[in-house]
Amino acid sequence: MNGYGGSVLRVNLSTGQIQKQPTPQDVARDFLGGRGFGIYFLTKEVPPKADPFGQENKMIISSGPFSGLMIPGAGKCDWTTKSPLTGGYASASLGGHFTAELKYAGLDSIILEGISPKPVYLFIDDNQVELRDASHLWGKGSITVEKELKEQYGEEYQIATIGPAGENGVLFAHINHDYGRQAGRGGVGAVLGTKKVKAIVLHGTKSIPVADLPAYRQAGINLFKACKDAEILKEWQSYGTTMVVSWCDEVGALPTRNFTAGSFEDGKNLYGPVMRKTIVVSDKGCFACPSPCGKYSHTRRYNTYVEGPEYETIGMLGSDLGLGNIEDVAQANLLCDDLGIDTISTGGVIAWAMECFERGIFTKKDTDGLELKFGNAQAVFALIEKIARKDGFGALLAEGVKRASQKTGQGSEKFAIHVKGMEQSAYATHNATAMLLAYMTCDVGAHHNRAWAITYDIQVGREKVTTEKVARVIWLQNFRPMFDVLGACRLQWVELSIDRDLYLPALQAITGIPRSWKDLETVGERIWNLTRLYWIREIDGFGREWDLPAPRFYEDAPKTGATAGQITRFEDVQKLLDYYYEQRGWSKNGIPTPETIARLNLEQFVY
Amino acid sequence: MRLYVDSTRCSGCKACLVACSLNLFQENNPKKSALVILPHFPAPGNYEVKTCTQCGDCAQVCPMEAIKVNERGAYYVDMDECNLCEACVSECPEGVMFIRSELADTAWKCDLCGDCVTVCGTGALWIAETETAVA
Amino acid sequence: MAAILKLFGILKKYIQGADQIMVPANITVRQAITTLHIPPEIVALVVVNGNQQSKEYIIQNDDEIKLLAIMGGGR
Repeated sequence: MNGYGGSVLRVNLSTGQIQKQPTPQDVARDFLGGRGFGIYFLTKEVPPKADPFGQENKMIISSGPFSGLMIPGAGKCDWTTKSPLTGGYASASLGGHFTAELKYAGLDSIILEGISPKPVYLFIDDNQVELRDASHLWGKGSITVEKELKEQYGEEYQIATIGPAGENGVLFAHINHDYGRQAGRGGVGAVLGTKKVKAIVLHGTKSIPVADLPAYRQAGINLFKACKDAEILKEWQSYGTTMVVSWCDEVGALPTRNFTAGSFEDGKNLYGPVMRKTIVVSDKGCFACPSPCGKYSHTRRYNTYVEGPEYETIGMLGSDLGLGNIEDVAQANLLCDDLGIDTISTGGVIAWAMECFERGIFTKKDTDGLELKFGNAQAVFALIEKIARKDGFGALLAEGVKRASQKTGQGSEKFAIHVKGMEQSAYATHNATAMLLAYMTCDVGAHHNRAWAITYDIQVGREKVTTEKVARVIWLQNFRPMFDVLGACRLQWVELSIDRDLYLPALQAITGIPRSWKDLETVGERIWNLTRLYWIREIDGFGREWDLPAPRFYEDAPKTGATAGQITRFEDVQKLLDYYYEQRGWSKNGIPTPETIARLNLEQFVY
Repeated sequence: MRLYVDSTRCSGCKACLVACSLNLFQENNPKKSALVILPHFPAPGNYEVKTCTQCGDCAQVCPMEAIKVNERGAYYVDMDECNLCEACVSECPEGVMFIRSELADTAWKCDLCGDCVTVCGTGALWIAETETAVA
Repeated sequence: MAAILKLFGILKKYIQGADQIMVPANITVRQAITTLHIPPEIVALVVVNGNQQSKEYIIQNDDEIKLLAIMGGGR
């Protein structure tokens, strides 16, 4: 099949049975690949109400038709599973070189089923596929494990691994790859850990077939040329996502002290140019990326190396914890990477715990003696370790901010900053209604990447609540997933602003099938609705209430910074949802109507 | 003319490798390319790139005289004439002569097509006149 | 005493579609932006002679200043 590896690899960890099946052509047509394959297989194969840590849950790892080809940023890999953090849909996007290698091994998806009786790693070298003993790797950090496996097998082998946190079932454990790229959110690392899979070692030497080689080559070159001509390329290469720290601070979007404000008085010490000057040693790109956002850093204070921190990590482990030193943030970043926990959720739970401490809900008796005040870097480092090991106070936080606040009570639920149980990523949304709606309705919980609407808020008026704003969020939610589905990065389009029409001739030349953006946006809408149906299937009573944001964004106006005194009214939150459901073709309770389901050919998925 | 590289600008993305395999073999397969990227991680955290200097040592030792000069003045492998003896591989001072018999029935090397330069977003690669060594 | 201000993306409309304009030295970038009636918050990035600077940077003679608008996709 042109543009595809051609096979789906199924590994039953309980029995050790390994089989390959041809990638189904009709699924490729309706869902394309990547995130589309993920939700398709999850809905079809994981039975309703499955225990995320049980035998029935699966880990579905998918590339897309662009992955591994000469297309800018064609290095995105989707990891879909039932989330132990939220109980709903999880899909985490991994950069680096893993997805390309998957295609070179002739694979489009790997589906991990069951639970291994003992620690293993999955070894794939073209047609050789084996489960190998991982008892010597169990308990080790991600960076160490990757280094050991690379030394054993060679640089050409791509490694994805979990840290101790994944083994311990921390609900926001992640998967690490390429010394600093992650499938970060929703607890994908914990699912791998409970399946007793420490790592995947991947190597492929096959060529990926394409339909029209000269046309594909030309279309690929045109895309690279457009990226290289982009006005912002040089600045983007210098700073990556850290470029926006200063802007977010200025407009009040930089999460500060558990989202009590959107501007940080020490923010200047975390800005891109400061980081570039003080700690960055090199630029590190994902596969085929002309605009590498990865900044590889060395801290003098701790004499450590880490990829990052990128914007989200600076927000969540920096300003949101009151840390105003980039070396401290980088060190916290490294600890999370190596121990195997998501920096965004980790920042979220620690920020919540710090607020509890400062309000007197927790004392040193509760925190194992840690002085959990905002700005205490040493306490942050210690707590990261405790969370990953589920040690003492860390065990409470390892459950995520929703469960931790429900257990703690005393009003702490009010300042647990999450949607659907997923900690909100690094945009403060007291007064940015499109971004707020994006978080409320995001299909994995409060994550930014489905609709990065914050710039649109600023352009059209941040406090406005209009049908146009809602339409914009929906369009972004339908369109942006196309990159996750095609297995490529969206940032060349988002940040370099290259013309999206340049992608279409490439896709046609690769697969041999002409597709329009209208057609592809329908695929995006189909995927969006299918993920919604998945939540409805998994959680009894799921509906409108699950789309509400943290009360902080409609009750607690910031006292300082650019958004001081500004807040979204609760009736506007409700209005946003009314507009959104109507435009989506969903009921007032946020359930897709039978007409919408029929229009998108999703009847077969309704139970 | 030859291909130059500034390794400090390489971000390890491998776009050059795919472009190279597309030119040499009309295939998407970075394992069949004529550049080498050596990542040095987790420390010191950089990439080292090896490219062909067009020194011609490979052509000198080829018993089949299968390594010839093309219209760009670059040494290339005439794939029909290569007998996989590997003399060129051990001779190459940069480690950019390749034989992987499981992947192709021929040796291969950089033929200076320039596609790697076209897709390199960070300006790490360029083609220029060969600097003549000062005696 | 003057510097060159180069505008990109949606910012060009504030100088009638031109690419660049001369601005006086010894004022801040923020002052230069507001004089041109550009809302400062839509300027994501200020680059002076190749380095990112804040909007409080005081413009020096012969500076080359690039102003980049907020992105976010959608062209």
